[in-house]
Amino acid sequence: MKTLRHLFTLNILCLLLFCGADSAWALQSHSAPEGIYVHQMAHVLFMASLGYLYWHTRRTQELTSKGWIFLQLFCILLFSWNVIAFTGHEAFEHLTATDFIYKNTWQEQLVSPITFIKVLYYITKMDHFLMVPALAALAFSLRTFYLEARKGVQ
Amino acid sequence: MSGLSMIPAVSVEFIGSALAILLAFIALGYARALVKLQPNNFIWGFLWYFCIAMAAFSVSRGVGHIVRIILVYNDRGDVWQLLSPFSGGFNTMLMISVAAVTIYYHKGLDAYKAIRTEADKLAAANLQLAANAEELQKLNTNLEGIVEDRTRDLTQSETKFRNLFENSKDIVYFCDFNGNITSINSSGIQMLGFTEFPEKINFHKLFSNPDTLDTYLSEIRHKGFVSDLEMECTGRDHSIRYILLSANAIYSAKGDIVGYEGIGKDMTRLRNITEQLINHEKMASVGEMAAGIAHEINTPLGIILGYTQLMLDDFDSESELHENMQVIERQTKACRRIVSDLLKFSRQSESIKANINVNDIIKEVLSVTEHTLNINKILVVRQFDPHLPLVIGDAEKLHQVFINLFNNAQYAMSKGGQIIITTRQHEHEVHISVRDTGSGIAEEIKNRIFDPFFTTKEVGKGTGLGLSVTYGIIQEHGGTISVESPVDDPDTGLELRGTAFHILLPAHIENNSEQAV
Repeated sequence: MKTLRHLFTLNILCLLLFCGADSAWALQSHSAPEGIYVHQMAHVLFMASLGYLYWHTRRTQELTSKGWIFLQLFCILLFSWNVIAFTGHEAFEHLTATDFIYKNTWQEQLVSPITFIKVLYYITKMDHFLMVPALAALAFSLRTFYLEARKGVQ
Repeated sequence: MSGLSMIPAVSVEFIGSALAILLAFIALGYARALVKLQPNNFIWGFLWYFCIAMAAFSVSRGVGHIVRIILVYNDRGDVWQLLSPFSGGFNTMLMISVAAVTIYYHKGLDAYKAIRTEADKLAAANLQLAANAEELQKLNTNLEGIVEDRTRDLTQSETKFRNLFENSKDIVYFCDFNGNITSINSSGIQMLGFTEFPEKINFHKLFSNPDTLDTYLSEIRHKGFVSDLEMECTGRDHSIRYILLSANAIYSAKGDIVGYEGIGKDMTRLRNITEQLINHEKMASVGEMAAGIAHEINTPLGIILGYTQLMLDDFDSESELHENMQVIERQTKACRRIVSDLLKFSRQSESIKANINVNDIIKEVLSVTEHTLNINKILVVRQFDPHLPLVIGDAEKLHQVFINLFNNAQYAMSKGGQIIITTRQHEHEVHISVRDTGSGIAEEIKNRIFDPFFTTKEVGKGTGLGLSVTYGIIQEHGGTISVESPVDDPDTGLELRGTAFHILLPAHIENNSEQAV
């Protein structure tokens, strides 16, 4: 219950941070940036849940087997992926069409000069370097659980 | 104009998306296997839903990336413009779903842990219960075995002691405080003259002598036991048995005497043999003494008699002195008879032995004495065995035996009666019984009747040598003489008044067939 309250508070803070105050109607239309805001909030929520899962599995004495170590690694990696993804989305928001040449072609490039934002965007674009290992850790975790459980049953 | 090519980033995006989908489904596959393996495990259930959400997210995101790359880089950006919001929306929604699944995980986990704790406790309790049941089963099995072993041992022990109890030739008895016998062995029943266990019999009433009973009760009640007490026991058939008794008191839990248990050895036969032996020795020593005295007296008596007879010729037969000398002669002869009897008793007199028929001897004696007996209202009953074997003996001395016995019988039947004379063969002996229906012999003098000079007759009416001489003659013939008073009737089992003398003489079997009458 306490955790839920914390998450709710965190969501409110995110809304205040990323959403500017605007006119309110009874039936409110959704303007263009809402999609990215919601998506970013989802990332935050996702991170929070992963952080919680990591924290809880670490503190629970019964969950100390090898499978849980892999799951905790998954939490860390996916949490990191969320950070990267969140950052990537933010970086993309700072880029304009002029920052790209040959856009939507196989020759697509980021035009010079290569600024920090452009580098940040470029690096975060390769977020799969975190996501794939995270899912691999999840697969290993589940495999370990399965093998242990099967051994226990036998 | 040169820039940073997006190809590496796009390649990583494309391949990474595909790998992410693949790995997410591998994880989902294991999660499903786990759920199938242990359907009731909450954690596997959580991971199952978590992996579903992750797989859906990976598909949504991965496919979105791949489709975007394919469409955009193939000049179909317009299509992607249509799909893009849906892809992003799905991604967002699925990320929230994964978060939601994770957030609610802890609640379920707590419940699962609580259930698991209880289940573990229950399992431990069941395990303990099973262990206890197994232990109980083992104990039960062991107990059955132990009970079986103990029962077998007890049965063996009971059989052993029952056999000892039943087969013992001594009397073994258990009785209550008042002496009522509760259990007695077969030998005891026989010893007391019963054929089967009587309904009620009081051990204390078997004591012939009240003083012995007092001693028995006093010792056993004070000391708790009595050892080697010589008890004179009167059985159902009124026969006297001498029992060497050892007994213990039986105590209750409170320490009160509730009964007695004892073992008694029948000493009757031993006692009789001992008495006979003592008697025999006594008679032998008395005989030796009598022989010595007789020899010493015989010579002066002969001289007195000789001189008396010589002096009788010196006096006138009508004179007073002659009469006095005759008295001396008569009394001296009486003394010689006594001396002669003493010699006969001590077996010092000469014997002429031959094969003789006891029936004939008795007939010869009766031919002389029966008339006198009849005058005294005494009827003689003859129960002779016509096939009686011969005996080797001195006819003269055997005549003396029966004369003495008939005289005694006559004395015992002053008002008349019967003399029953029985002869029969008993194994290798000739059994002669002379029974009268007289007054009988008192128990206290029974052991003394064969003693020399013991008599119940008035002074001057008997020398007390009759039965002594009889005893000596029978001994000389290698036989035995015993007295029975009162007499047990072998036919009816009743006790008859009177006295019976039983003589056993060795039979001369070789001549039996030739000379039996």
